[in-house]
Amino acid sequence: MTIAFHPDIATLMAFSAGTLEEPYTVVVATHLAMCEACREQVKRTDLIGGALLASEPEAEMVPGALDRLLAAADSDDVAQPIIVPDTGVPAPIAHYLPRGLDGVRWRWSGPGVAVADLPSSSAAKGRLMLLRVEAGRKVPEHGHGGQELTLILQGAYRDRFGRFGAGDIADHDEDVEHQPIAEPGEDCICLVAVDAKLSFRSRLVRTLQPLFGL
Amino acid sequence: MYATIMTEAKSTTGAMPERAEPAELIRRVAERRDKAALSALFVQFAPRIKSMMLRLGVDAAHAEDLAQEAMLSVWRKAHFYSPDKGAASTWIFTIARNLRIDAARRQSNRPYVDLEGIEVESEAPHGHALLEQSQIVARVSKALEVLPEEQREVVRLSFIKEMSQSEIAQRVGIPLGTVKSRLRLAYDRLRPLLEDLH
Ligand SMILES: [Zn+2]
Repeated sequence: MTIAFHPDIATLMAFSAGTLEEPYTVVVATHLAMCEACREQVKRTDLIGGALLASEPEAEMVPGALDRLLAAADSDDVAQPIIVPDTGVPAPIAHYLPRGLDGVRWRWSGPGVAVADLPSSSAAKGRLMLLRVEAGRKVPEHGHGGQELTLILQGAYRDRFGRFGAGDIADHDEDVEHQPIAEPGEDCICLVAVDAKLSFRSRLVRTLQPLFGL
Repeated sequence: MYATIMTEAKSTTGAMPERAEPAELIRRVAERRDKAALSALFVQFAPRIKSMMLRLGVDAAHAEDLAQEAMLSVWRKAHFYSPDKGAASTWIFTIARNLRIDAARRQSNRPYVDLEGIEVESEAPHGHALLEQSQIVARVSKALEVLPEEQREVVRLSFIKEMSQSEIAQRVGIPLGTVKSRLRLAYDRLRPLLEDLH
């Protein structure tokens, strides 16, 4: 898999620090499962956290803390590797999609466009969803109310930034406007994290926005 | 780099925990279920994890629990660790970070499967010589020190104060785009120093 577009390094640093909001964390983790180069990057950004931990001063533990740990270790088993069923989707999102991308229950969201929300915890800020754009279809031009992370899982689309195929990630700031067009041949399916409602540019589409559920 | 006074953490039942490279201690836990090695890891890391959690605004009892849980995870997951995946302190940092995130979500299950337990086929060459733990810490700390103040600030706020980029923007009074560009600049400077460390 040749990946041309990666998350902004600032996004990867936030992932390492644990300060990225939950839906974005899922998208980044999924990209990491597909992208060797970014796994190497995250090793470096994690290292910053590791070094900061190792150079922390020592807080005093409560008396008997070590004995408590050793007692817990007695009754605790080793962790088993996580077996992820192979349904053709990357491991970090496999449990959302027990029957793979074919089993997704899509919700109509405009001509040629469908979405499916993925559950997040109640503490999550933002929204995680799958977006499917029919092969050859244009998504209405839109801007973003906040950061948007889009990871292509299947198919490809083009916009003014280039061609985004499987594994590529579009890491867009709030000011970016674009109009993706799905390539002919195969439906384009993306994993998307957004932290605000997308703002569509044309007034007609803006009126339809609540209907689109975007 | 580590404190030399260890009397506080002496187990009432065991011998004085020893000092050794964390990667070696984790290997002993994995291969021999070695409790002396676990104790030594506890001495090195539990008080620091607790300190980091306190700094992140976690209350004292919860910080203590997170440090305990992190060390128990080290016990349970030691066989997942291998030195070519990264420095031991980095691995322990990611365990503690993930536990804190999970707790914050107040959910028993993570919404996604972490990569930590999953074997991902790596195309990168393995087996490069690992620097000693203390050298890694020294190198990275030094790298952070030489950053311009404005860059160091956003890195510290990200990692130590657990602030999102938009929170940092508000706190420092700069646009979000500037926070990101400072992080990028900081990373560009750090990268050559981090290159052969992991
Ligand atoms: Zn990447």
